[in-house]
This record gives sequence, structure tokens and C-alpha cells, in this order.
Amino acid sequence: MTSASDIHSKTVLVRKLESIATFSDEERQAILSLPSQTRVLKPGQDIVRDGDTPSQCCLILDGWAYRYKVLGEGRRQIFSFHIAGDIPDLQSLHLHTMDHTLATVTEATVAFIPHQSMRELTMRYPSVGAVLWRDTLVDAAIFREWMIGIGRKSAFGRIAHLFCEMYLKLESVGLASDHRCPLPMTQVDIGDALGLSNVHVNRVLQELRGKGLITLRSNTLVIHAWDEMIQASEFDPTYLHFEQRAAG
Amino acid sequence: MSLHLQRVRVATTSPDTESRLVFADDFLVAVLVQLSDDHEDDAGMWFLEVGFGRLDHPMPPKFANLDEAQDWIEQRLAGNQASSTAIPAL
Repeated sequence: MTSASDIHSKTVLVRKLESIATFSDEERQAILSLPSQTRVLKPGQDIVRDGDTPSQCCLILDGWAYRYKVLGEGRRQIFSFHIAGDIPDLQSLHLHTMDHTLATVTEATVAFIPHQSMRELTMRYPSVGAVLWRDTLVDAAIFREWMIGIGRKSAFGRIAHLFCEMYLKLESVGLASDHRCPLPMTQVDIGDALGLSNVHVNRVLQELRGKGLITLRSNTLVIHAWDEMIQASEFDPTYLHFEQRAAG
Repeated sequence: MSLHLQRVRVATTSPDTESRLVFADDFLVAVLVQLSDDHEDDAGMWFLEVGFGRLDHPMPPKFANLDEAQDWIEQRLAGNQASSTAIPAL
């Protein structure tokens, strides 16, 4: 028996996947009926660790998470930031050993969905499997954009690009509008994601503020000059592959 | 090997301009920049803006003062990689 709150939790997943695909009523219902266990996690808590062999996937219902890996001397690389509707460890369904860690940025509510249930869903509804594949391909497209940033863009371009990306991702699932969105990560998080020192992150944030392009206060980002931001960061949202592209 | 510092200003496109070129004998090995009030808790610290050769570092450190910076630079130049496990004020 699936409870009402259980169904609500999968609504978040349907909303996310419908930003990049469309479902029939039957497929939507099958996703909503997935069994799951909901938990509230503290900020900075590992959800699944490098080397683990999980038997469930983690759907984010509320809050932010990130993927990372730690090298010697405490060097941390953040690979991606995740928001409600994302299943950042979906790959564990087919790649059995985690090759990085998934952790919360903020306090987060997550739903754990058994691998077995995900497998049954995708076998019964191959088109849902195809949408999850599509989601994984979009994930890979985002990695390519980050690689361009880390390899070939200035600190200014990297940070402006990240802000545009996070805004559109949040907007696509109804969590942002009017160029205003939550942005709860720290300057150190941004630096570890973009290969920058927190000194350089701080300088760029001051420059973005000084030019009147953004306001960033109390974990809320407001982009005042969208066109200038996308131009300065060479941001083209094609790689996000939204089904109905957000207006931007 | 002896270090000596030369005062310069660096165009960082920020208020962080007060800087030192660091020479080891007659080789330029690093540029240190003092962090302005923009950096709040870190204001006044010296940041390894650029390190050449052995001083190149993926996570450039900050130092409380120039003596601390020079100690770190001397250790790195002496090939003491173990010093990198105790980078101050990252």
C-alpha cells in the first residue's frame, strides 16, 4: 500500500523528469507508485560513499546535495550540485560500486527507492527506462559543460555559468522564478566545484556585485542582468535539453 | 639559497593590490598578494597568487604573515613535500 505522502514524494521525481520528457498517465502512475523510504538528513552528511555498493537510489525531495571526491592533502573536487527531483546516484543501478561520494549541502529530505523496484519499473515500462537514460545523458552533457569551464574559462566565466545553470535547473522544476533562486552553497563549495581558490571566488562575487549583475545575500541569488551574464559566461542552455525550455 | 622580497602592486581587478615578488637567489619563484578587507576574516593575510615550479599548487595557501609565507616557500623549494600536509590557513 502506497501512502499519500509516499506518492507526493514521487511527484517531485515526475516533475523533474517531465522537464526533459513526457509520460502517459499509466507511466506517471507507475512512477508515483514506486515504494520508498523518506529520511531527513543534516547538512554536510554523506548519503552514499565512495566504495559503497548500495541497493537503493536516493531521490532528493527537498534541499541540495552534491557529488564529490577527496584527494590527498584534503583536496576536494565537487562534480555536481543537485536539487529536488534529482536522483544523483541513479548510476548505482548499473554501476554497483560507487566511485565518488554523494552528500547533502543543506538539510535535505530524501526518499530511498530500492534498486529492485527501479528495475521492475524500467522492465515493465521501457519508455520510463528511456527517460531515465535521457536524464543520465543530460547529466553527462552537464559534465561536458563543467569540463569546458574548468579547462577553458576564466574564474568569472565559470561562476557566472554555474549561476545561470543552477537558476534554470531550479526554474525548470518550479523552484525559482523572476531570476531569483536559492543558492545555499558556500564560497568554498563553489571553489571546489570550479577549481578555484576561495580568494578568487570572493573576488569574482565582488566583481559580479560591483557591476550590478547579481545580488547574493542570505543564500538567495538574484540575477539582475541575465543577458549580460549569459554573454559573459558563454552560456547556451541547449545542453540542459529541457523539453519545454525555460524562458531564461 | 636566500629569499628576498620586492614590493610591487598587482592588478588583480580587486582591491587586493599590495604584493611582493619573491625571489630565491635571482629566480622569481612566487607572487604573494595581501588580502583586502573584501575578504573579511582573511583580510590582511598573504595569498599565494602565483607559485612557479615547486611552488605551483592546486590549492594555493594563505599565510598569516610574510614570515610564515617565506617558511613555507623555503620548505617547498628544499623539496620537503611533507610540508604540504601542513599548509596553514587553507
